[in-house]
Amino acid sequence: MGLRVRAALAAGLLLAARATVASGADRFHDANELVRTGDYPRAIAAYGELARSGSESATLYWNWAQAASARGALGESLWALLRARELDPGDRAVERDVDRLRQALNLDKAEIAPEPLAVASRFARRFRLDLVALGLLVVSLLAHAAARLGIAPRAGLRVAWTALALALAAAAVPLLGSFARPTAAVVRRGAPLVDAASPSASPTGTLREGEVVPVLETSGDWLRVEDNAGARGWAHAGDVRRLDEAPQPPPQG
Amino acid sequence: MRAERAGFGGVLGALVLLLGHPGGAGGAQSPQNRDAQFTLRSEVDARKIGLQDQLQLTITVEGSGAPDEIALPPLVNLDVAGGPFSSSQFSFVNGRTSQSRSFTYVLQPRAAGKAEIGAVQAGGQSTQPIAVEVVAGSIRPREQQRQDPFGRDPFGDPIEEMFGRGRTRAQSARVQMEAMPSRTRLHVGEPLVLTYWLYTQASVADLQFKEAPQFAGFWVEDLEREKTSPSGEPATLEGQSYRRFPILRKLLFPTKAGELTIPSSVFRIGLARTGFFDAGGTLERPTKPVTITVDPLPDAPGFSGAVGRFKATASLDRESVPLGEAATLRFRVEGTGNLKWVERAPELHVAGAKVFPPQAKSDLRTSESGVSGSRTWEFVVVPETSGEVKVPPLAFSYFDAAAGRIVSVATEPLVLRVEGGTVAAGLPAVPAASAPGRASGALPLRSELDQRSTWAPGSRLLASAVVLGLVLHVGLWGLGQRRGAGYGGEGRTASSRSLRQALRELERAAREPMSKEQAAALVEKALGEAFGEIADGDDSARARGVRALLDDVRFVRYAPQLGDYSEKVKDLAARAAEVVRRWA
Repeated sequence: MGLRVRAALAAGLLLAARATVASGADRFHDANELVRTGDYPRAIAAYGELARSGSESATLYWNWAQAASARGALGESLWALLRARELDPGDRAVERDVDRLRQALNLDKAEIAPEPLAVASRFARRFRLDLVALGLLVVSLLAHAAARLGIAPRAGLRVAWTALALALAAAAVPLLGSFARPTAAVVRRGAPLVDAASPSASPTGTLREGEVVPVLETSGDWLRVEDNAGARGWAHAGDVRRLDEAPQPPPQG
Repeated sequence: MRAERAGFGGVLGALVLLLGHPGGAGGAQSPQNRDAQFTLRSEVDARKIGLQDQLQLTITVEGSGAPDEIALPPLVNLDVAGGPFSSSQFSFVNGRTSQSRSFTYVLQPRAAGKAEIGAVQAGGQSTQPIAVEVVAGSIRPREQQRQDPFGRDPFGDPIEEMFGRGRTRAQSARVQMEAMPSRTRLHVGEPLVLTYWLYTQASVADLQFKEAPQFAGFWVEDLEREKTSPSGEPATLEGQSYRRFPILRKLLFPTKAGELTIPSSVFRIGLARTGFFDAGGTLERPTKPVTITVDPLPDAPGFSGAVGRFKATASLDRESVPLGEAATLRFRVEGTGNLKWVERAPELHVAGAKVFPPQAKSDLRTSESGVSGSRTWEFVVVPETSGEVKVPPLAFSYFDAAAGRIVSVATEPLVLRVEGGTVAAGLPAVPAASAPGRASGALPLRSELDQRSTWAPGSRLLASAVVLGLVLHVGLWGLGQRRGAGYGGEGRTASSRSLRQALRELERAAREPMSKEQAAALVEKALGEAFGEIADGDDSARARGVRALLDDVRFVRYAPQLGDYSEKVKDLAARAAEVVRRWA
C-alpha cells in the first residue's frame, strides 16, 4: 500500500471520527432542546440512542435524569444519576441529586448501595488508582533496573521498593472493587418480582422504585435479582436497568 | 373458640333474665324512665286465639323498687280463668346481679271478636295495651294450652321452689341446637345463609363450641347476628315449644359442585342457677349435619367466575392529556354476588398507548344476599401518540343464577384526546408523577457533551500488569544473584553494618598515629569488608577502582620505610572512604 493511500485513509478516518463527535454533540443539543420544550419522552429517547451509540458520559446521564424527573419517572431519574456517578464518581452535583431523589423515593441509603465493594470501585475510578498503580509499577521497574545497572544503586533500589509497595496498594483498591456484584436500579413503580424468567411467571413480590439490587444472573430480557429484603426473583429488563453498562435497546414485552 | 363465645355474650345476657316465662308472642313494655329502678313489661303468648282457647298474660317486673302487688289491667272480652301465679328470679352473671318477678294470669275469651288487655300500671309506669283477636272454635294445640308457663307446677312444693328442683336438671333440661341453611340447592358461587339456633326452655348462662363447625368446600363470610328480640322468638321443635335465639350466622359460598355436607357441631351449654342450692349445670348439644346440593357453573370463554347480578362501567379521569402524561381508566363492576372472587380485570389493549397493570380497589359489604358493593380496577394509560386514543369496550361476564345463564355486559368505548407531538416508538413510558425538588423553573441541563476519555485498564489488565511487574522485579533480583555481583553489576552488596564498620576503620587509619603497615592493613581490611573478594574476571569500573586502590594500599604497606608516609596513608584512607561510599 502506497504512502499516499495510507495517508488518505488516515485522513478519512480522522474526519469520520470528528464527524461522529460533531454529530453526537448536535444530537445532544437537539435532545436538550426537546427537554426545554417539554417533550420529555422524545428527549429521553434521544438520550438513550446517544448512550447506546457510545456517547456515554456523566453529562448525558445528568440531562437524562433531569428529563425523567420532570416527567415524574423518579426511578428512571435515579438510575440515570447513578449511571452518571459510575462514569464520573467525582461529580458532586450528581451526588447531591442522587441524595435528593433517594429521599424523594423514601429510600434508605443502604437501599441504593447494596454492594459495599462498589464504593471501593468508585473510589478507585474517581482517583484513577488503576493508572496510578500502573505508573508506579513502571517507576519501580525502572528504578530497579537502574540500580541493577549501577546508576545510583542504593537510591534506585530504595525508590524501586517504595514505588512497588505503593503500586500494590493502589492496585488493591480497584482489584477489590472488581469483586462487587453488578447492580441494577428499579425504574418502574411496583415492578413485579416473578419466579421465572418468563412473561407467564407468577409474581412473588414487588420491587421498590429506585431501589438498587444486585444482579445475580441474566437470561434474555430478564435479570435475576435480590431485593433489599433478601427476596430473590426475576425482573424484566424494562423494569430494572443495570448500572454497570450502557442501557440496552428497549426490551420487547 | 374464645371469639365465638364472646360473640354469644349479647344473647346470653338476655337469656338468663328472660327465659323463666316462655310465652309472649306479643307484649308491651313501659316507656323508658331515667329515674326508674325497674322495668315493667306485659306479654301474651298469642295474639290470635280461639273462643275455646286460653290465653296467658305475663306481667314481668325487672329491677328493684317495684311495688309488691301489680294490679290486673282492665280486660275487654276476657275473663280471668286462673292466677295470678307469681315467680321470682335472681341471677348473677359475669359479676352483675339482676332480679325479676312475674305474675301470670290465664285468661278465657268471652266471645269471638276483638279483645284487649289494658295498660298495666305500677310505680308510675305503664305498658301499652295489647289487642287480641278471638275467633270461633279452637286454634291452639291442647298441649300448649296445658303447658306450665314456668316449666313447673305453680302449686308445687314451696320448699322445692326455694332451693331449686332436683340435681339432674341439666339432663332433663329441654335445650336444642339446630343448624339451619337458608336453602339446600344452589350453584357454585351462590350464597346461602347458615344460622345456628338455640332452642331452649331454660335459662342459659354460657354457650361455647365443643366442636366448631367445619365448612369444607365453602367460602365463608361472617354475618352480623340478626337483630331479634332479647327474649328470642317462640318456636316449635319436634312438637315442643321453645324460645329460640340465633347464635351464629354464616354466609357460605360453595366452591365446588356436588353434595357438600356441613358436619355436626357440638355446643357446650351452661345452664343458669335457679335456686340457692341449684348449681346450674352443663350439657352438650350437637347439631345435625346439613347436606347442600351444589350445581356446577356453565363454562364459557371469558367467564369471570362471578355469580350474581352485576353491571360494569368504564370511565377516564380526564378527556384529554398532554403527550407524555398519563390518564387513569377506571373499570368498575358493581352488584351483588360473589364479587370477592373476581380477581382479574379484563385484558385491556389500547392502540397507541401503553397500559400498565391495574390496581384493584374494593368497596364491598357482606349481607344475607351475598357480597354487594363494587370492585374497581384502575389502569394507567400513557399515550404514545398524539391525536385520539380509543379505549375499546371492556367485557365482563357473570352467571345469573336466577336466569340460569351466563350474561355478558360490555362498557361503552371511550376516547382520550392526546395533545402534543409524536413519541418515538419503543419508548419506555412511565406514568407522570409529581417531581420533587425542581417544581418550577428551567431544568438545570448541562450544555456540552462531555467526551473526555474514560479509558481504564480494567481489573484483568491491572492484575496482569501487577503480576508481570512482580515477575520482572524477581527477575532483576535473581539475575544479579546468579552473576554473584552486587547491585550496579560490580560484586556483592555489603550490609549497612559492614559499611559503617569499614568507614569507621578508614577514619581510624587516617586519624590515629600508627605505622604505615598497620594503617595500610586497616585500609585493606576495610575494603575487604565493604567489597569482599573482587572476581578476577570482573572488569567493571567498580572492580577496577577497588583493585587500583588495593594496589596502592599494598605498595605503601610493603614499601621500605624511606620517609614519612602519614600524608600518603591519610590520602589512601580518604580515597578508600570515597570508593566505599560510592560503590559499596
